[in-house]
Amino acid sequence: MEFLIASFRKDLARWRQDPMAVLLWLGIPFFIGGLITAMVDSGDGTGPTGVLLIHDQDESLLSGFVAGAYSQATPGELITVEQVSLEEGRERINGGDATGFLIIPEGFMAAFLDEEPVTLTLKTNPSQIILPGIIEDVTEILLDLGFYAQALFGPEIDQMQDAETNDVPNDVFAADMAVQIQGKIDTVSPLLFPPAFDVEIVEPPPAEPRPDIALLYLPGIVMMALLFSAQGMSADYWKERETGTLRRLVSTPGLLSLFVYGKALAAAAVIAFLGGVTLFLGFLYHEVSFSKFIPSLVWTTVSGVGLFAWFAALQMLFPNQKAANLLTTILLFPLLMMGGSFFPLDVLPDWIAAIGRLSPNGFVVDRLSTELTSVPDWTFDIKSWGIALIMTVSGLAICTWRLQAGFARR
Amino acid sequence: MLIVENLVKQYGDLTAVDNVSFGAEKGKVFGLLGPNGAGKSTAINCISGLLPPTSGHITVGGADIVRQGKEAKRYLGVVPQELAIYEDLPAAENLGYWGMAYGLRGKELQSRVGEVLEHIGLVDRAKDLPKTFSGGMKRRLNFGCGIVHKPELLLLDEPTVGVDPQSRQRLFEMVEAERDAGACVLYTTHYMEEAERLCDSLAIIDHGQLIVTGTVTELKDELQARDVLQLTGEFPDKRIEDVVGALVAGGLSDLELIAEEKGSVTVTLSSASQHLPAIFEAITAEGGRIDETSLRSPNLETLFLLLTGKELRE
Repeated sequence: MEFLIASFRKDLARWRQDPMAVLLWLGIPFFIGGLITAMVDSGDGTGPTGVLLIHDQDESLLSGFVAGAYSQATPGELITVEQVSLEEGRERINGGDATGFLIIPEGFMAAFLDEEPVTLTLKTNPSQIILPGIIEDVTEILLDLGFYAQALFGPEIDQMQDAETNDVPNDVFAADMAVQIQGKIDTVSPLLFPPAFDVEIVEPPPAEPRPDIALLYLPGIVMMALLFSAQGMSADYWKERETGTLRRLVSTPGLLSLFVYGKALAAAAVIAFLGGVTLFLGFLYHEVSFSKFIPSLVWTTVSGVGLFAWFAALQMLFPNQKAANLLTTILLFPLLMMGGSFFPLDVLPDWIAAIGRLSPNGFVVDRLSTELTSVPDWTFDIKSWGIALIMTVSGLAICTWRLQAGFARR
Repeated sequence: MLIVENLVKQYGDLTAVDNVSFGAEKGKVFGLLGPNGAGKSTAINCISGLLPPTSGHITVGGADIVRQGKEAKRYLGVVPQELAIYEDLPAAENLGYWGMAYGLRGKELQSRVGEVLEHIGLVDRAKDLPKTFSGGMKRRLNFGCGIVHKPELLLLDEPTVGVDPQSRQRLFEMVEAERDAGACVLYTTHYMEEAERLCDSLAIIDHGQLIVTGTVTELKDELQARDVLQLTGEFPDKRIEDVVGALVAGGLSDLELIAEEKGSVTVTLSSASQHLPAIFEAITAEGGRIDETSLRSPNLETLFLLLTGKELRE
């Protein structure tokens, strides 16, 4: 047992002497993961917004109401309104720096009150598709509202206009106006509330919650770090053989199996570090519940050691170090591609995803992905844990057998 | 301490070690001498448990290396020909790791690591990585890793190959120190001068077979104080044996032809320098021509030449 710990400490100390390798194993997935996340995730989780530039030449109560109407309710979530000068507005809309440019002419309110024709100028950005249409629709609705307001409250508007002209509005006048307007509303309200016809709103069946697409990449990115490190560390058996330490070990009473387990423990520590950092940052960024952190880390560490053991076993089957490194590196990239590291399994074509889930890393990614995105709490799926443990133990057993069968003696 | 009986190691049709037997005692240095490829390393690999013998028995401290491997290996310390250290692990941790591999623990391990660091002259570099060491320092650490657990049988496989004279001298001193501390040392080399200096007894091996064994004094006596005379030049075909025969008949009774190759003749006789004129005359009389003469006084190297008919370093 002490020799196992000695082997573990020895390898851990050696890996500490090679921080560049560890940084690369961490850095490459972070770089790729960062690029992918930047591509698929806008960052704040909100949709695109348009900019409506308004040049208000009238600067009246009504023109202010029109400008403000674009910032209300649903249009306000999609459209940002900016008051600009005529020159700035023209320059920006011509430069494609806005979704629309609305000019409210001088005398707009007076013309409205006098029921005279007036022209609002709206220039939209042809390079944008949806938002200019929304601005046009909102503008038309506002114009319709103006028409109906005129039709319904024409006399009251005339009185208010007169009162403003004569400069005599007082509380009595205001109260009288309010009563008149309320009376008209009461008159028409049976027609409007409820409407003369019923509209049955049929809610579509609730769609299956679709996880954040960027979160789907997280398990693959974690696995990328683990695969790089597992493949890199597995080459250490060849290094030990080339430096003669394996031969020296065979002539000691120290057991080769303990040597293998010690090496696996050191690999587990490195893998836990890499997995811990990537998972922690991923959890933080995607706001995943930290109650899943420890199970995720244990899952990736156990599976990572399994991958390390199998890479090591493969390395020891090759006749020389060069061939071993070359072929395990070549193997690495198809595993990454099909196992969900470059593209999440959920977005791959079904037949490729099915094959990917059968790969060792794809199996680990699939399980981690399910746990992170689909269920509220970590489910300790016995079958998955059993497969991961069998993969790890069998890989280590093959490594021990290869060492005893002659790899260490040459 | 070490008993090797009828050791045979075969690789397919090739017999690397052929029925070799010898023994080594505590407090003595036993040398295994032979040219490159003679089978020394194969023999030492079998003794250290690296290679299973094809047949024969090896007993270390009374334990059979094959059947009681773990027990036998507790007695062993191995200093391999090639460096076998972790270059990315500090020197002290290298010693600590190999000490633990041999079962040392706790304070005993710490104490031994300190002693060995002092012994190999690396106290002030204990925390440094061996990859920053000179070749000689790495050799010393390689040696230290083999003795950290105070082995009762120390196997040294050509430890001075590629080592500078200063480090070689230091290594000899370390080997002598282990012997003086009571260890049995098995030392393989193809340098006869090393064997003469270090070994109490030795065995000469060639083509996997043990040619002769004994103490250095006994082996030198085998030469009967005869010199080895090597002549190069042109010699009449198949006539040199007649020349040697005539010289023996003429009074050089202990003259013996050791080896004859194209352009080279090697003979042995006592007080050779005194008989050079007669030998030259006999050869030139038969139409030969001597370009170069090499006369060597009796030593292990000339013994090897005498026994095998070839140079040790060929």
